[in-house]
Amino acid sequence: MLNLLNKTKCILIPNLRKTASRATHDVVKESSSEVAVSKTTTAPLILPQNWPQYEPMNRAVSRQVWIENIDDVPERKVGIIELHPDVFATQPRVDVIQENIEWQRKYRYVSFAHTKTRAEVRGGGRKPWPQKGMGRARHGSIRSPLFRGGGVAHGPRSPTTHFYMLPFYKRVMGLTATLSVKLAQDDLHVIDTVDVPTQDPQFIKELIKERNWGPSVLIVDRDDIFPENISYATDALSYVNLMPSYGLNTYSMLKHDTLVLTVNAVKHIEERLLYQLHRTDAIKKQGKFKLDQV
Amino acid sequence: MAHLRESAEKALKMLRTLPRVQIGNIRPNPNSKKNTKRGRAQHSGDKHGAGNKGSGQRQNYMRIGYETGNNPFYLRFPYEPYYKGHHLRRQYPPLSLLQLQVLLDTNRIDPKQPIDVTTLCNTGLLNLQPASMEYGFQLTDDGIDRFKAKICIEVQHAKESVIAAIEKNGGVIRTAYYDPRSLQAMVNPQKWFEKGEPIPRRLLPPQDAVEYYASAKNRGYLADPEEISKERLVLAQKYGYELPRIEDDPDYEMLISQKDARQIFYGLEPGWVIGLRDKVIVKSKGFPEEPSNTKAKKDGTS
Repeated sequence: MLNLLNKTKCILIPNLRKTASRATHDVVKESSSEVAVSKTTTAPLILPQNWPQYEPMNRAVSRQVWIENIDDVPERKVGIIELHPDVFATQPRVDVIQENIEWQRKYRYVSFAHTKTRAEVRGGGRKPWPQKGMGRARHGSIRSPLFRGGGVAHGPRSPTTHFYMLPFYKRVMGLTATLSVKLAQDDLHVIDTVDVPTQDPQFIKELIKERNWGPSVLIVDRDDIFPENISYATDALSYVNLMPSYGLNTYSMLKHDTLVLTVNAVKHIEERLLYQLHRTDAIKKQGKFKLDQV
Repeated sequence: MAHLRESAEKALKMLRTLPRVQIGNIRPNPNSKKNTKRGRAQHSGDKHGAGNKGSGQRQNYMRIGYETGNNPFYLRFPYEPYYKGHHLRRQYPPLSLLQLQVLLDTNRIDPKQPIDVTTLCNTGLLNLQPASMEYGFQLTDDGIDRFKAKICIEVQHAKESVIAAIEKNGGVIRTAYYDPRSLQAMVNPQKWFEKGEPIPRRLLPPQDAVEYYASAKNRGYLADPEEISKERLVLAQKYGYELPRIEDDPDYEMLISQKDARQIFYGLEPGWVIGLRDKVIVKSKGFPEEPSNTKAKKDGTS
């Protein structure tokens, strides 16, 4: 089953690594030949993670992902990185992802739709006709909601906020579930750095086409100041966006087809999410949200 | 957890063959959203599910226990003594030895430090509400066979078998009374210190609790220490174990550390004010100055 899950990403089981199935062999062969032809002489980046506090319950289910290069259009495997199953292979709770999306849409939305009530519409102070003796229905104001041009009963009032907070651990689960979904659907790629050789958007376009990414791509790095080249190269492309890892959110991940993380970003995301999943004062985060809370 | 892992693997495997999860193709769980609008047509129109007239429509439900004119059940029997004064009785929420062992094993509690209500509340898993008549923890004997830790613990109530289990491992247990105001300070010391109020003085136990806390059998904090060491031997003989000599223990100092009957925090005395921001202890005039100022504070708040 695990081999099925991983076409390009194989599971590390130390004892079985040499006797793995043919698919794994092929991958190994392919990658080794590619590494051989590549011009660079740097050693491959093998990053078995050593989560000191938050060791997964079963090491065998932790995922392994190729680290790809971004300095050239054709794909070259620079190394391999191990991903924590609690972050990158959790239950893909699509319903929680949906709740996160809805929350991210709503909490910042203020409705400015506005209607005037009968009191606010100009005029209508006097009784339009006497109560009795006219043979007409009794009315007290020409601005009543029954009248054309009158006020609106129970209409929208501006500004209406739709702010609410999703429970903290639903937000955490939204992130882990989305990362897991992205990895399971081959939409998550890990790159070594964000250093591209040119400032030309054409390079990024070709890269995306060659790698079968996208069409829309979200590139996430640890730092919020990206190198000049990639900033210029992606500036004109509206469907390629850059984001620091502290800004990672469910909506942006889902809005883009492909998520590209740097190794530093992966480590940072993993560290933060594992901390939140294991923190001992979690009960404090589960309380009711107050506006003045820290 | 294994089954969760298995189902997660299954779901992730399934996702590989499904279309890409996108903003446009996800929706909430069926029936998870309640429509705030009342329907107007066949299925929820007419009375909108409230029935015809009466309490359903007007929400003026009968009071609880009212049996539309019958002599109500709760009034049918004239005398129920077992709940008499229940609102005045002291409650001691249970903490089992198994729970305690888990807390120790998962590093939520440091066994090298004496354990009291503050330590237990600081784990984040246990809570006390002194305002609703909770007067501290009672240590129960669930998981008594698995209890292996050597600790110095202070609880508010403990059975004989629990005392034996702790002393068998070379630990020390005391039962101590705290009045609700002192407990409030102990449950969340940080909050108390931030208020800028002095540490309260622990009150003596009420009349009906004096007997319990003055008894050496219960390892009460008001009991004679010599009586307690005698009772330790008696209990060891009764349960048939050899009592470890705590005098030879490397952690002897920790094991015998005890609070004064009027004291709430280790190393801090009633009347002192703790300034958390400036990290100072303001001592009242009645107490002599101690050189180990910072150390005392550390002990108290840890």
